[in-house]
Amino acid sequence: MSKKIDERIPQNSGEGSGFKNYYGIQSPWNRIYSYQEALHYASRFESVLSAATLQALRIIVPDYAERAQLMCEEAYARLYNTGKYYGDDDGFGIHPFFCGQFAGALIGDKGDDALLMCGRCQDFGTYRAEKELDVCDWDICGSELCRTTTMSLQGQAAASAERRRKGPDIDYMMVEAKGCGDRHCRIIAESREKYPAPPHELWQSFGPAVTDEYKKYTQEEDCVEESMMFREECGYHFVNGTNNTTDSSNQMINMSTGASLYILPAIAETVKRGYVTRAQADHILKCVLEASGKAMFGERYAIKGCRDWMGVPDSIGEDGRVMGGLIEMLLQSLVCKYDVEAFNKNEVILAIDRTGLEITGTKDVPEAHLWMWQGMIKTLVNVQWSLWEEESPKGKMRIKIAKKIDKFM
Amino acid sequence: MYKNIFKYDDMKRSEHMAVRKTAGWYFWTHQLLEITGPDVTAFLEYMYPNKISSLAVGRDRYTTMLNEQGEIIDDVVIMRMSEDVYWVSTLFATKTDDWWYFHQGDYDVDWTEITDDWAMYAVQGPKSKEIVESLVKDSIADLKFFAHMDTEIGGIPCKINRGGFTGEKLGYEIYVSPDDGEALEQMLAPAVEKAGGKEVTEFQVMAWTLPTEANFYYMRDLAGTNPFEVGLASGIDWEKDFIGKEALLKVKEEGAAREMVGFEVPEADIYIRSKQYGGPGEPVFIDGEEEEVGRVSKLVYSYVKEVNIGYILAKKDKLHVGDKIKIHGYDAVITEKNWISS
Repeated sequence: MSKKIDERIPQNSGEGSGFKNYYGIQSPWNRIYSYQEALHYASRFESVLSAATLQALRIIVPDYAERAQLMCEEAYARLYNTGKYYGDDDGFGIHPFFCGQFAGALIGDKGDDALLMCGRCQDFGTYRAEKELDVCDWDICGSELCRTTTMSLQGQAAASAERRRKGPDIDYMMVEAKGCGDRHCRIIAESREKYPAPPHELWQSFGPAVTDEYKKYTQEEDCVEESMMFREECGYHFVNGTNNTTDSSNQMINMSTGASLYILPAIAETVKRGYVTRAQADHILKCVLEASGKAMFGERYAIKGCRDWMGVPDSIGEDGRVMGGLIEMLLQSLVCKYDVEAFNKNEVILAIDRTGLEITGTKDVPEAHLWMWQGMIKTLVNVQWSLWEEESPKGKMRIKIAKKIDKFM
Repeated sequence: MYKNIFKYDDMKRSEHMAVRKTAGWYFWTHQLLEITGPDVTAFLEYMYPNKISSLAVGRDRYTTMLNEQGEIIDDVVIMRMSEDVYWVSTLFATKTDDWWYFHQGDYDVDWTEITDDWAMYAVQGPKSKEIVESLVKDSIADLKFFAHMDTEIGGIPCKINRGGFTGEKLGYEIYVSPDDGEALEQMLAPAVEKAGGKEVTEFQVMAWTLPTEANFYYMRDLAGTNPFEVGLASGIDWEKDFIGKEALLKVKEEGAAREMVGFEVPEADIYIRSKQYGGPGEPVFIDGEEEEVGRVSKLVYSYVKEVNIGYILAKKDKLHVGDKIKIHGYDAVITEKNWISS
């Protein structure tokens, strides 16, 4: 292997030309996509990866209620602690006179927009809040995740409330969920002091709401497809009701995914609780993620679409550069640093910054990607090609793409 | 569906009307910046368009804060605590801190955020004066609007500031150490209850329904506007230099492009999006025309008038009082913005 880098558009192409304000991603064949498109791509890819990881969790804990409860407990505890020790009320526009857990809705509201989960706040008061989402890229993962995100918000709201004068506790519930087939995701939070309802387990945070009659259901024609930060009518800024304002630099796609924030930590929790060993969990994850990766390009039109998207010339046939280029697109979209050590018809070597791919600091996210890529290459290129980690320096995941025969593949 | 979140809510109604009829008290702590130094008055004159140097010790002044484009980026109450010490009451202390820092230049000033040093309680409504008077060591009888004084309540040192965000002629704000907050509440709550009032606990009442009835703004309403568009230009000191003056002078000469108008929607159970929840607000069109003439900024309920009320930030002279329009399919009428003055 030569470690040669073929003629390709350098990553710093255009530097100093005045185009520096154009933030986006660039394929090795000079297909340029905007920052906005890059976020959408990364968001959906990570959602597909997250959906696969949740399938692994479903194998580990087959019972729905048991699994959902475990996920909710783990997420509530972790996000409560994060919120307690690293909370930033001012950063969410939570005013000092806000008393109680309702203010936590502002945390979810801002996070939704930064994760491209666009919609609108429909109510925001001390005893009731309502948020409606039109879009959620995580909607394919599974309804357990919908329950879990709700309980993570509950944890953050509880932690935030403890920093201020005591006020009503609020029961956050996702009463509609795109992950369940609803048109919208809808979180309604109610004070049980004002709107009594029977107590429930964490995983049962799905309603029904006592205040269902107050619900504001947005009809299809009024639904939105983009976050406020990408909408002209919003001046390309997210603005909440307390005038907390951010622009698109506040995106969270590379900070929080279903897998990184909830599902992989939940799998780690299953190991901790003795459902499986770490090795068994990794085995299940690898099997599911590889299969998921293979399914991505099982049809020829998917391969063609991908090649067109990246601008791969016809002169490049079935070789590892196609897969390498696709990984580069994702890494750029996630703002994850990497170095290209080799990029030619025989091999591609990318040294990826592990911390950039860990997303929320979850250590096994790079491996999850590796396993998925190992499946993808089999259908995007062909089965002669493999992808593996080799000679990684500290802090890096050095992946090699080349032909390989393995009798136990 | 679309059941009115205000009209049928007895808790909100009773808290709102307590302020209008007798008195309501509530925890109302804002962020506070204390600023001092030899150049403090000159610095504040430059930071804020309204006149600061004429503010007497012991008095307060409301003012907007503008960016270089003349757009409102905050609205605050400035309290003169002594000759060279001011308090600035805001809900955007972090942004203000940055803004001041970047514009400090050679001004010899020093400031610190003192939010954590104070808890503030509002007592608002017709009976607020007699309630506060019954609690304080020194009489507040002669305390003027936007004036403050030091005294004690049950041995607790406090500052009493006459003012508020409800539109009530009588309203007071009590500043105490957070350590004394609970003790103060134990005296304040029964005193208000004895007068027939109650605690206001609902954010929507203290921040939206009460102020909107009185033509007051929450910062979300003001974002991106200039003082001429929202009727806050009257106190501007045009004799001095201040950030945003050049841009604002242009607006003054050419006239504002937009204006904030009031509106009512008679139908109770409606779905109209407003900026108070974030986002761009519902677009407003004149019947039969395609041109968008404004966006709904605020939509609440007037418990005094028993009707949905709100503000529209509209293109200048497109909407006039009495105009009948449709907003998201609902009949609405353009009105003045004050629902408690008559």
